[in-house]
Amino acid sequence: MVTPIFIVAIALGVGFSIGVLNKLGKNFTGGLVLAAITFMTFISYQWFYAFTFGEQTPTYVYTAGFKPPFSINLLMGQYEAIITLMINSIGLLGGIYMFNSLKERGSNAQVVYLILIMALNVIVMTRDVFNLFVFLEISSIAIAGLILLEKGTRSMGAGFKYVLATSIISSILLIGIIFSYFITGTLNVDDFISLSISTYKGGAIVVFLIMIAVILELKPFPANGWGLDVYEGSDPGFSAIISGASATASLYVLYKIMAFAGVEWNYYISLIGIVTFVGSNLLGIKQENTRRMLGYSSIGQVGLLMVILGFKDILGENTPYIFFGILISHYLAKAGLFWLSGIVRAKGLKEWAVIRKKPFFLFLMGTFIFALIGFPPFPSFFAKWTLVMDLVQSGNIVWVAAILFGSIMEAVYLFRWFGYAIKEENKHLEDFKIEIHKIIPVWIVAIALYGFGYFVSQLTEVSSTINFIPFAFVILLFAIDFLPIFVKNTVAILGMAFYFYTIYPQLDNFRLIFEVIFIVGGILALIAGYAYKGKREGFYPVAILMYAGLTGIIEAKTTLEFFYGWELMTAGSYFLIIRGHRSMPHGLSYMLFSLGGAYAILAAFGIASVGQDSISMSIINNIQYIPTWAYALLIVGFLTKTASVGLHIWLPGAHGEAESDVSPMVSAILLKAGVFGVALTLIGMGAENNQYSVLAYTLGWIGAITALVGNLMAVFQEDAKRLLAYSSIGQLGYIVFGLAMMTHLGWLGGFSYVINHFLYKAILFLTIGAVVLRVGTHNMYEMGGLIKRMPLAFIAVLIGIIALSGVPPLSGFTGKWLFYNAVLDKGWYLQGAIMFFSGGIAFLYLWRLIHTVFLGQLKDNHRTVKEISIWFLIPIYTLIVGILVYSAKPQWILQPLAEIIAPFFPSNQLVWNGGTAISHYGNWAGTMVMAIIGIAFLAVLGVQLISTRKAHKVKQFDITYAGERPERPETTHVAYNVFEGLYKAMWPATIPLVETFWNKITNYLHDTAGFTRRIYSGNGQAYMLHIVFFILVTYLVIIGG
Amino acid sequence: MNIYVKLAYTFLGLMIVLNWGMLMGATMRKIGARVAGRHGIPFKQPWIDLFKNIGVRTTITHGIMYYIGPVFRLTGGVGLFLFMPAVFSGSPYGIWTNFSFEGDLILILYFQVFGMLGMALGAGEGGHPYAAMGIARGLAQHAAVELPLTLAFLSIAIQYDTFSVYKIVEAQQGGFQNWVLFTNPFAAAAVILAMLGALGHSPFNLVKAPNEILIGPATEYEGSYLGFMQSAGAIIHVMEAMLFMNLVFGGATNWFELILKTFLIYFWSVFVGIVFPRFKIEQSVTWFFKVPLLLGVLAILMYSF
Repeated sequence: MVTPIFIVAIALGVGFSIGVLNKLGKNFTGGLVLAAITFMTFISYQWFYAFTFGEQTPTYVYTAGFKPPFSINLLMGQYEAIITLMINSIGLLGGIYMFNSLKERGSNAQVVYLILIMALNVIVMTRDVFNLFVFLEISSIAIAGLILLEKGTRSMGAGFKYVLATSIISSILLIGIIFSYFITGTLNVDDFISLSISTYKGGAIVVFLIMIAVILELKPFPANGWGLDVYEGSDPGFSAIISGASATASLYVLYKIMAFAGVEWNYYISLIGIVTFVGSNLLGIKQENTRRMLGYSSIGQVGLLMVILGFKDILGENTPYIFFGILISHYLAKAGLFWLSGIVRAKGLKEWAVIRKKPFFLFLMGTFIFALIGFPPFPSFFAKWTLVMDLVQSGNIVWVAAILFGSIMEAVYLFRWFGYAIKEENKHLEDFKIEIHKIIPVWIVAIALYGFGYFVSQLTEVSSTINFIPFAFVILLFAIDFLPIFVKNTVAILGMAFYFYTIYPQLDNFRLIFEVIFIVGGILALIAGYAYKGKREGFYPVAILMYAGLTGIIEAKTTLEFFYGWELMTAGSYFLIIRGHRSMPHGLSYMLFSLGGAYAILAAFGIASVGQDSISMSIINNIQYIPTWAYALLIVGFLTKTASVGLHIWLPGAHGEAESDVSPMVSAILLKAGVFGVALTLIGMGAENNQYSVLAYTLGWIGAITALVGNLMAVFQEDAKRLLAYSSIGQLGYIVFGLAMMTHLGWLGGFSYVINHFLYKAILFLTIGAVVLRVGTHNMYEMGGLIKRMPLAFIAVLIGIIALSGVPPLSGFTGKWLFYNAVLDKGWYLQGAIMFFSGGIAFLYLWRLIHTVFLGQLKDNHRTVKEISIWFLIPIYTLIVGILVYSAKPQWILQPLAEIIAPFFPSNQLVWNGGTAISHYGNWAGTMVMAIIGIAFLAVLGVQLISTRKAHKVKQFDITYAGERPERPETTHVAYNVFEGLYKAMWPATIPLVETFWNKITNYLHDTAGFTRRIYSGNGQAYMLHIVFFILVTYLVIIGG
Repeated sequence: MNIYVKLAYTFLGLMIVLNWGMLMGATMRKIGARVAGRHGIPFKQPWIDLFKNIGVRTTITHGIMYYIGPVFRLTGGVGLFLFMPAVFSGSPYGIWTNFSFEGDLILILYFQVFGMLGMALGAGEGGHPYAAMGIARGLAQHAAVELPLTLAFLSIAIQYDTFSVYKIVEAQQGGFQNWVLFTNPFAAAAVILAMLGALGHSPFNLVKAPNEILIGPATEYEGSYLGFMQSAGAIIHVMEAMLFMNLVFGGATNWFELILKTFLIYFWSVFVGIVFPRFKIEQSVTWFFKVPLLLGVLAILMYSF
């Protein structure tokens, strides 16, 4: 085993020898530096390996052959091995990345870089505080030098402020060290620990001085203006080193100091950490400069890591898992993003649209952003999960709330940035050049993120249960993304079909309903994909990612698996949604609402796990600690996905602007994930438990109002897909209402709607989507008379709207009938009346949809459009067969449904006598009603056929209107603003109160961020004053005035 | 009862309703004319119109949906009759209860829309702007009428703990004091006001709006189609009145009672129509959201606490 002293020796040796060898050329010296760092990395790795896989014990290295206090000693323990390995690896990758830029600046720059990496190693390993001070100084000087190497006045200013700030910090540290020697006679950390330095007279001051200096090194909010300028001003390759290596080393120093500082510091470290995390991320939302924004994010993440260190006694043995999980994600992802920013060379956020010119780079960017936010399969997902669980279990719910709030703020700016990259106009932007040595490090950190994700997931308590097969399938589809659509679509369909075949025997009937909707529905929607031409890059991996998540939540046996699936689904659906034209803002709001919902669910799972000895899904059936709050959080979380009123504003844009075959995926299928969650929660609350009746009652009202708002808004849409999107909001309101009743009939009605909504909304979205592909517009008033060109599409929409409206004899009536009975049974009359009124309103938009698109006057530019694609017709007509079967034989569906519901909600409220459903209040014979109506219809039709046998067909304009024969369809097609009169009567109900509310919240946050940001005046003196104030305030708070 | 006998009685009942509907229509038009100081049409006019319409030699079609629109409309009317118990005789399977035992009030409420929707689509294919205007108005008004009506119907269903129209009629037997009109006055009041909208006379006749959009949805229809629609209209008018009769006014135990009650119910809307001129949509919609809605809510609140 090579002793760690060689890390120092090699660096110094190479550093000095370059002074002599620089005649051999900068390439040679650069290579020498890289070789040195490679060797340093090897040393760390060797120790890391020995600690991880062998029986290695921590080893002290004594310099100069004496023991402390007469010499300096270094410690190589497990953590030191990990941290130095991290520092050296990023140093190596950074060295490769910056090879040319260091070379340009001469061999001195190369030496400084090497010395910086070496200094950071020593900072981590040293057990001597004075030695710590020295190497902190060395690293500061090296960093300042490297900042100043970047051209431009910004870097000059940044470097100067950095020197100023670190001088103050060093002075404080030095004073602390002097005092510590004065009162203890030693400078050794281990001695400080054994002597309990904080118990000495004046010890508190000593600890304070050392501690505050180390904390200031971590750039706490708000005394961190100098740090932000560094991130903004320096070479992005170097920012990656500051963010990845320097911050990591400083965090470890904090950890070392905490060992002798005394436990009372833990709380304050967490406090400073959380203020930094929330404050930085809040201010991040106002940033328009990428590197500065990434700087805010870096500082925020370090704040979060401080919180974790502060809680180390509470988190106990999970601390390393959580700490390293988040640290590694941050360290790799942030380095990757900084490096990308150097390659892409885009300063403003919107300029990042240029990255799309090389799609693989977009993928890398997405990887890093999702890793930072804490999505699966990245390490931060598992770490954040464990952190939240442990914090909630120890009663620190307020902390969890603050952490999740900060995370949402971080998501706001990162996803807005990502949205710009995906959607913003990029034709005018100049493509960027790729240098191979800059790309390799980015690839490596991206691969490492996935690798560590898998590794970390295997360390969790339920690691073995997480099903990685669907995710592996996603990777496969990524790998074959270069193939034509036909191949990829077939692979995707076959894969899903095979997966369904293997999984369905394992599912109970309750879950099977949802799995059928998700997977079989997904396959049907995918069939429509054959209609597309070309490669459709990136579509299949993300679509399958969504389905992987959906099946994940169905199969989940533990809350972790559920949350894992939930986040995969969110990620996949986000990408699907943002693919549509003009869907950038909707993608962002979808993501933010989804994340907000996901964090509510996460917190609720945490609360549910209190007092339980497992994290099995069954714990939500028996929540012991503040159960009402936990259920409320779960419901709020799931309602973000069902787009219930108040949380619905993301849906119309997201569904309306999505691609033709994506709309049914995210509407007919995805929304049911929220329903599944609500159903699980209500089952957990239990039918007999009166404790939660207020919650269920509120949920019922939410459902009813959602139904009204959704349907009413749908009436006034001019865009066909938005109309359907609002209609989905309304329909989901029905489902939520039905489930909230928590009675057998209510659930039967709700589930009847789940199945029906899946069938007819998929039909309608697929058909309208296919029509839109043909006519090239969403606006209904630009269409008209299409029945002449697309009779099959017309029939599909006709059946869809009859089923949706609930008119007998089609299946929609099932839900209506059950709901009337359920309402009477439950006694929710007023809510029920609102529901039925909403149903009446539905006729308006359904008529509008079919009339303005298919009836009325055919437009001149549509005289030659063709029937919708066969690839759309196949799934559409398959679903129509489903509707017809359900309509003719409702008992085939409802009887098994009743059996599924019976265990949760007492049965016998609905009895079947043959094909007749009998409730306490009434009866209805689906098959007979269909037969009677069918016979009557045929009889009347027969009479008409006889009496009109000589009817001859007339042409489009063979009508008289306003005294003349019209010639232009535009003047004759009644389509635009058809419900003007109703609008005049009902406009107060259409005021977008919810949208205004969320806009106000957004504005408030932006204003707060904008106002607070003014403290960063850019003035070096002001920044120094911040540091002094920070010290003063911390002193007053901790030591007391 | 033998199914063929049942079918025969049902068909007979349908014919009675059809002819009564036409006669009632003629009567109401005559009353309207007399109030306006005109002589009005002869009572036989609807039959003359019907035979003339069916007899015309030229028939046109704008397409398949246009063609089956009237079929939907008439099926809607016939279906309403089939699912409605017409004359109460003490048994749900009585000779004049039709096929009402296959469903209940909810079926009737939703089946009402069947004919409306079908005709709306048929008229839509005709491509005439007046048709679309009439339908848009009709749907808007229908939604507004539905709210107080639904509240009132729910209240009645709560009162008798059933959705079965037959059972509601049964419960009102034994004297007029048992009618919903007296046992549940708020619901009855809501129905009496809201049914003005459902029956579609002035001031709520903006669907057809004579002198303005011709006759609305039916503008493009002629010949047999128009005959079908007239027949459907006659049936549906009686059926609407019959629904209110069954739910609020004690039902009917014989055909005479049925004819008298449906006449009076229908006359109420004609009476109002003669007095008041036509509303605009926004006036009509807001009208139903005021007093009728309030009465409906009161009818529900009575049973909520």
